Amino acid sequence: MHDMNRPEIRAARLDPGPAVGEAPDLAFLLAQVARGDHQAFEAVYGQLAGPVYGVVRQVLRDPAQSEEVAQEVLLEVWRSASRFDPARGSGVAWVLTMAHRRAVDRVRSENAGSRREQKVASEAVTEYDDVADIVETSLEGQRARRCLDSLTDLQGESIKLAYYGGYSYPEVAQLLGVALGTVKTRIRDGLIRMRDCMGVMA
Amino acid sequence: MKALPDNMHVLTGSYALDALDAQERAEFERHLQHCPSCQAEVRGLRETAARLAIARAARPPAQMEQRVLAATYRTRQLPPLTGARLRWGLRRTRVAQLFAGWLAAGQSRPDSSQASRSDRGRGNSWLRSPRLIGAVAAASVVAAVGLGITQVSTQHQLDSAQARSAAIAKVLDAPDARIEDASAPAGGAVTVVVSALQHEALVTTRGMSPLSSSRVYQVWVMNSSGARSVGLLASTSHIGQLLASGVRSGDQIGITVEPSGGSPRPTTTPVVTVPLTT
Repeated sequence: MHDMNRPEIRAARLDPGPAVGEAPDLAFLLAQVARGDHQAFEAVYGQLAGPVYGVVRQVLRDPAQSEEVAQEVLLEVWRSASRFDPARGSGVAWVLTMAHRRAVDRVRSENAGSRREQKVASEAVTEYDDVADIVETSLEGQRARRCLDSLTDLQGESIKLAYYGGYSYPEVAQLLGVALGTVKTRIRDGLIRMRDCMGVMA
Repeated sequence: MKALPDNMHVLTGSYALDALDAQERAEFERHLQHCPSCQAEVRGLRETAARLAIARAARPPAQMEQRVLAATYRTRQLPPLTGARLRWGLRRTRVAQLFAGWLAAGQSRPDSSQASRSDRGRGNSWLRSPRLIGAVAAASVVAAVGLGITQVSTQHQLDSAQARSAAIAKVLDAPDARIEDASAPAGGAVTVVVSALQHEALVTTRGMSPLSSSRVYQVWVMNSSGARSVGLLASTSHIGQLLASGVRSGDQIGITVEPSGGSPRPTTTPVVTVPLTT
């Protein structure tokens, strides 16, 4: 992957393309970023700011707070690009794992008290589609949604509540009125089914 | 093969979705350190979770890009990891991949990116190279001596380390090698790579709960006719590794707490046992 040259960075920046997860040069760009290349970072930003902001807002809901956390995550990509190890997963997964983890940590630290419980009670499961401004152009995203829809109801709801809702699996179990063990199993089975549906490398 | 405690392995999904609380996350991460098949699964499920994020991509506020880009000019970057720490980390990853490779044999999936395709290619050629497996095994021997950093200082030690690493490589390289995992209720975990063809088992422990200076962990091959000592775990290191020879299907690896210096036969109930179901 290191045989790519500078003009291709520019090409990537001008035309990030629709399939964010399939951009072949993200690992290369991250290696450039690790060397302090601001232009490469702009290209990374172009590819990942949408998913980062989207998933953070999906979890946090509050736009101002979401922007703050998304900025932190993207700056962290700049700061720690040297620690990205392509042998351990894709660049997309590295960045989006960081984004989701940080959003969830924010939720958990803020909602340690009773406010969380009230929100759990008042929020309907179906709310996870209502965040505005979802970028519809990503083929990969469309595929993920189709695969998500192919799961059983319990698998799909468990995964949506856990990932998009930012709930822990015991919270998911309570929301859905099922046993803890059932939720753990459904989340894993559902994700494995999604993985196979999307042809994600294992 | 039954290699994983179900209650832990089933958490791969919840872990990949950040749906564990802080304590369970920490516990799972400890488990993950020595559970190569969990690592492989978590990796695939994380890639999957990333697609869930992509499905929710949203247009960020217009001013965000300028803010982030401006911030990069004021933010110092972390240096890369170098030296022993990096090499050990990479080798440990490769060993994990090697284990995962056995477990996932025949289940390869199409890759979603160029970069990971080339990684995979490298991984495979690495898997096919006994010489490199030997190098990795040597690295893990050094690690067992003192967690990766301690230098093997004398020629004698070097020779015995090389002999051991060759023996270890043979087990790792065996076509029928299997992995068994177990955790000790009091803390710590054991991974056993066993080859029925070689009649050998590589026992790796991690994070066993510390003992007083007058006690030591002793590793045994146990079966209906008794227990045979494999050796003592170095009390000072977090990771321990011993090679058990002459093992048979139906044997168990057991670890007991013994007076320092060890015992001719077990004097306490094992803190953990691992059946070798070859």
